[in-house]
Amino acid sequence: MAVRSARPLRLSPAVVVLSVVLLALIIPPTIFLVQTSVHETNADGSFGAFTLRYFGELFGNPRLFGNLVNNVIYAFGSAAVAIAIGTALAWIVERTNTPMRRYVFLLSIISLGIPSVLYTVSFLLLLGKAGPVNDLLRLAFGSGGPLVNVYSLWGMIVVEGIDFSPLAFLLLSSVFRANDASFEEASLMSGAGLWKTFKNITLRLAMPGILALLILVLIRAFESFEIPALVGRPGRVYVLTTDIYDSIHTQVPPNYGEAGAFSIILLVIVVIMLVFYNRLSRRAERFQTITGKGFRPRVMDLGKWRYATAATLGVLFAIIIGLPIAIVLYASFLPYYDGVRLASFSTMTLANYAHVWGSSSFRDSIGNTIIMGLVTASLVGPFTALCAWLAVRRVRGAAFLDQLATMPLIFPAIVMGVAFLHLFLHLPFPFYGTLASLILASSVRFLPYGMRYSYAGVLQIHKELEEASALSGARQTTTFLRVVLPLVAPAIVTCWLFVFLVSVKAVAMAILLAGPGSQVVAVTLFDLWDNGQVTELAAMGVIWAGMMTVVSVAFYMLARRYGLRVH
Amino acid sequence: MLDVRDLHKQYASQGGRPGGGVFGASLHIADGELFTLLGPSGCGKTTTLRSIAGLETPDTGHISLGDTVLFDAASGALVPLYDRDIGMVFQSYAIWPHMTVFENASYPLRVGRKKFGAADVRKRTVNVLERVGLAEYIDRPATHLSGGQQQRLALARALAREPKLLLLDEPLSNLDAKLREQMRHELKRLQRDTGVTTIYVTHDQSEALAISDRIAVMEDGRIAQVGSPRDIYNRPTSEFVAGFIGRTNLIRGDLAAAVGGGALAEVVTSTGALRCLFPAAAAARKGIAVVVRPEHVVISKDSAVDGDGNRLAGQVVSEIYLGELMEYVVATDVGTEMLVRTAPGKHIGVGDRVRLSFAPEHTVAVAGVAGA
Repeated sequence: MAVRSARPLRLSPAVVVLSVVLLALIIPPTIFLVQTSVHETNADGSFGAFTLRYFGELFGNPRLFGNLVNNVIYAFGSAAVAIAIGTALAWIVERTNTPMRRYVFLLSIISLGIPSVLYTVSFLLLLGKAGPVNDLLRLAFGSGGPLVNVYSLWGMIVVEGIDFSPLAFLLLSSVFRANDASFEEASLMSGAGLWKTFKNITLRLAMPGILALLILVLIRAFESFEIPALVGRPGRVYVLTTDIYDSIHTQVPPNYGEAGAFSIILLVIVVIMLVFYNRLSRRAERFQTITGKGFRPRVMDLGKWRYATAATLGVLFAIIIGLPIAIVLYASFLPYYDGVRLASFSTMTLANYAHVWGSSSFRDSIGNTIIMGLVTASLVGPFTALCAWLAVRRVRGAAFLDQLATMPLIFPAIVMGVAFLHLFLHLPFPFYGTLASLILASSVRFLPYGMRYSYAGVLQIHKELEEASALSGARQTTTFLRVVLPLVAPAIVTCWLFVFLVSVKAVAMAILLAGPGSQVVAVTLFDLWDNGQVTELAAMGVIWAGMMTVVSVAFYMLARRYGLRVH
Repeated sequence: MLDVRDLHKQYASQGGRPGGGVFGASLHIADGELFTLLGPSGCGKTTTLRSIAGLETPDTGHISLGDTVLFDAASGALVPLYDRDIGMVFQSYAIWPHMTVFENASYPLRVGRKKFGAADVRKRTVNVLERVGLAEYIDRPATHLSGGQQQRLALARALAREPKLLLLDEPLSNLDAKLREQMRHELKRLQRDTGVTTIYVTHDQSEALAISDRIAVMEDGRIAQVGSPRDIYNRPTSEFVAGFIGRTNLIRGDLAAAVGGGALAEVVTSTGALRCLFPAAAAARKGIAVVVRPEHVVISKDSAVDGDGNRLAGQVVSEIYLGELMEYVVATDVGTEMLVRTAPGKHIGVGDRVRLSFAPEHTVAVAGVAGA
């Protein structure tokens, strides 16, 4: 046996620098979050004595248990709705010859551009007391008949379920697509009937994927803020995220300790579910890699039934995208909103648009949001691309970079908001409430999303493409500039667009961190709803969603062209 | 020309399995030679190639190309891969999709240490593209080429700066069978025309036999045998080499007395006493392997077979028509089976009584034992 020459353990300087940056971004807010939950907070915001009373109060309070039960029902209910719709869509699109089925992906494009607040509001308009759905019920059953009360746990479940269904569709269609027809054909040839084949082969193969999706929806439901805040709170249905929000925003003075304790509990729940999720999705991926040689998914000829499935697609499309957009468009032209009335059509006006466009605060809000999105995406895109490249090429220590950059995933948006809020409040210079603070926090929050795209992008570049350059006599920098960079560029751009879209869409973190000078669209929409300015909200929402849909279309076209998985 | 001495490179084991690598490979390759590294996957041939290229750093050993020491563990010398005068064709071709044919092929002339003027780059690139028959595609995007054309482009790029050494890593494995056979001839002609010293890595033994000046058969990170294709095929020195190269009848027997190299001697086998050729000297021992290639066995229905070779009688139990050949399995009267290949048209069928004979010089005793 030859003696191995002992080479010193050398870390690339790039890995060291990137690790330090990541640690500096992730460790401080985490520390402050934990500190807040176990310290008294003084009137000036500084930490007082150590205490466990916030946890004690929570666990002694029946409210926590009640809200947790709400949370669980809400999570499972919305998961059921999302997976039911997603499965129907995915099966029709991937496995049948239904006409127009390829247009379903438009769902995902449009829904990626719509801010969550606006989407939630559109359902409140549709399902609210004066909304068209209740109008129809009154028409059918008379004024004493049953009415829909959207401000309830049921309302939350339906809205969240529908909200998540485009993503459920995307994830499930990749599960259905991954099933090679030859697996099923082998079963049929072995003498199993259609049902037995579906049960023993199709479903069993899809199961890890479906379970992974289930957990993903559960996590999302536990983390979601917009729907509990806009749908649940008015109906006195509280969950953990709204508890956190209320501890800070509704109580005077803000009860930071309570918010911290709630946050830690939510964090623990999410971590546990994420562990399950990772385990399951790894299994799901392993199932997906077992594919036959001549890979082709089976498309069933439905005969005449394909018009029935096409109709189903049409109805689902209307529910998920059509009606919400229609009602918001409708409301945006009205002087005041009081449901859908024929008479209202004659009062339609462009005044809301004029008002929104003419108001400097609205324009500022849009400008701030665009700056936030641009800067966040420009920081996250190249940064994660570099991390991903080092990790994919197995540079020593780069696996650690990958793990670090994925870590923020365990923070629900509102929890990360709480964590950064405390960090910013404790800084010796004024930082809280600035646009820069918002950008910093959202960059950290969306690191994992950027990492996912960059990693997938770099993974597609065969290592031999770089080796061929080195053997041609090119030095490392030449190879990086002439071969690596041009090849990862599409991935970086795709990643950039995605991070831009998701970072401007969410409200939960911004609502805790934005100050008077750093209002962003999502928060402005939220406030408009609180103030009852529905028509201005609708007009601003239409303008913003229109702009974002353009970006979203660009994102999808690029992602498709470069074969990146979109979700 | 190329000297590789006592090369070691061990990979860390993964998931309880040994990592593999190269354990003491030595090679000497002459100027202008087409030298093949042949072996099953995991035998270390690719690691050896990548160590020569500079894509891997060996643990110990010495590699030199001409007068230049590329790697020497003892002195710590290590020439970075971009300063080695080596061209390589990768298994995946590694054609850059964001460049044209010209940009791909001229890349080594534009980025290397040695600088070329724009006109010179153009001239040399056109020249090398003409050699591989791609001159008419010069301004096309590389992604518009077919698999075979990409392969030629990879070859052109590797040859562009006229390297001292050309490395080919399973270059034909991604082509379909017909194109593969055509490319063998082209590769061989191109190598002869340019005279570039070439190392060719493959796991396909027929490819290795067809193309090489010399072959090194590798097994478990070691070199099992080096020789001309005829040597390797007809005079294997180990059971592994005999079994890996082509189909063969392997008969076990005992050798009563020591034999000198190149001599004929009798081995008592399960198929009877056979007169065998010993390419290398061997001591008396039991369980020695004797190899007879199926095409060296003469099959006949006549009872009278001439020649003084080894003889057996038996019955045909299966026949396969291979187009240019017939293949028979014969159950011998002593209870063993022999594989026989012969030209078709002998009117021998299943159930026929046949006689087999094979000359002693084609009955090769193998000194080494598999896995030894």
